[in-house]
Amino acid sequence: MSKYVERFNVVERVLHWFMVVAFFLLVFTGLGLFAHTFYGYFNFFGGPHQAMLIHKWAGLMFFTSSLLLAFSHLKDLFTFDADDVLWIKKCGGYLSKGHEDIPQGKFNCGQKLFGIFSLAATFIMGITGFILWFAEGFARGAVQASLLLHSLFFVLFVLAAIVHIYLTTLGNPGTISSMLYGNVTKGWAKMHAIKWYRKVEKG
Amino acid sequence: MARKAFLIDMSRCIACRACQVGCKQWNKLDPEATVNRGCYENPPQLTPQLYNQMQFIEQDNGDQLRWLYLNKRCMHCADAGCIKVCPSAGALYHTPEGLVGFNQDKCIECNYCVNGCPFDVPRYDARKKVTKCHACIDRIANGMLPACVKACPTQTLRFGDRDSLIAEAKAAGKKVYGENDLKGLGAVYILEDSPETYKLPAKPAIPASIFLWKDVVKPFGILGFWGAVGAALLHYVTFGPKKLENGEDHDTPEKGA
Repeated sequence: MSKYVERFNVVERVLHWFMVVAFFLLVFTGLGLFAHTFYGYFNFFGGPHQAMLIHKWAGLMFFTSSLLLAFSHLKDLFTFDADDVLWIKKCGGYLSKGHEDIPQGKFNCGQKLFGIFSLAATFIMGITGFILWFAEGFARGAVQASLLLHSLFFVLFVLAAIVHIYLTTLGNPGTISSMLYGNVTKGWAKMHAIKWYRKVEKG
Repeated sequence: MARKAFLIDMSRCIACRACQVGCKQWNKLDPEATVNRGCYENPPQLTPQLYNQMQFIEQDNGDQLRWLYLNKRCMHCADAGCIKVCPSAGALYHTPEGLVGFNQDKCIECNYCVNGCPFDVPRYDARKKVTKCHACIDRIANGMLPACVKACPTQTLRFGDRDSLIAEAKAAGKKVYGENDLKGLGAVYILEDSPETYKLPAKPAIPASIFLWKDVVKPFGILGFWGAVGAALLHYVTFGPKKLENGEDHDTPEKGA
């Protein structure tokens, strides 16, 4: 019997890493537009004009891959039960040293909330980004609101990404292999996603 | 250097539009085809080829027509929304006289200034670069008056030391628009009616969305970034990672199963 259980198929993994590349391109090209402080970041991309061009196309890359990924997990993302309430009450067990018994499905409550946030933020960034891209065709009020929302959700997205990256690497050893190779150990599955594991075992 | 400014006394204006023409001539701005809209106001708003514009406010009071004029232009704010929002340092800037100039070579075509201006002044030209009234800084640097002021036959437009122009207007018992707004406008007006009548904001301010972005979201973002990184590190060394117990990694039968 294999020690591993499949968690993400190759399409999901490719989409995810496609999204990651687009995300970091967007962050570093966007910083120069976000504030004077970061204007120097444009130099990494050969100047402001090229950086802005990359920003726009990376935006399309991100929007598409993010939506595809979210829609392929829509059912998992929006299904909540009593165990999710328990997860929130216990802060996911992250405020205690040992393992806390909070039975979770394929995605734990935090991951689902992150996924929903990511989906909503993708829409907001996409729509406001489109308005800013073609700013001359929109009313001043719409562009001004877009500037605020685009900067606000940029900050929120980066903060969410920091938490996401920490919890999927250092915070929960063994998790990253699901995104690199597609599988996790059965031990990992029992500890982090027991309800999902039982379903997979049943076949 | 003492701040310089325009003092624009609309009560003296005869709407001859010499200022529009003088500006076009000095700044080599192209003529534009316009449409007769049944009003002397023409063109109807600032364009990339029109840095200052005569606005005609027509009020129909029964048998009498009341005509008000406004010379619309860049207000040269001390706290300028365009400079605040522009990502490219030096594309929009304050001159030593406190006027707002622009440098098209540094303009990155982001369009932010167009929407960050409290008065809807900056325009984009055919090359997609910012244009607006720059107070003829080339003339000022050589001890001349801005072209519009030079052309004005009625002294509606005056240019000089800001404090003394305002003091003079006040001594004459006139009410001044823009003395302290946005830390003082570089185009100060004497109006014949309320600012709203002239379609000017009574309390001009940087658009709320731009203020929130630059003065709330930005500091929150920088604090939040380091806060999140710090919190992750702190979590790692206090509660620690959720490691699998020894042997749990292997294919052991589920407890209770």
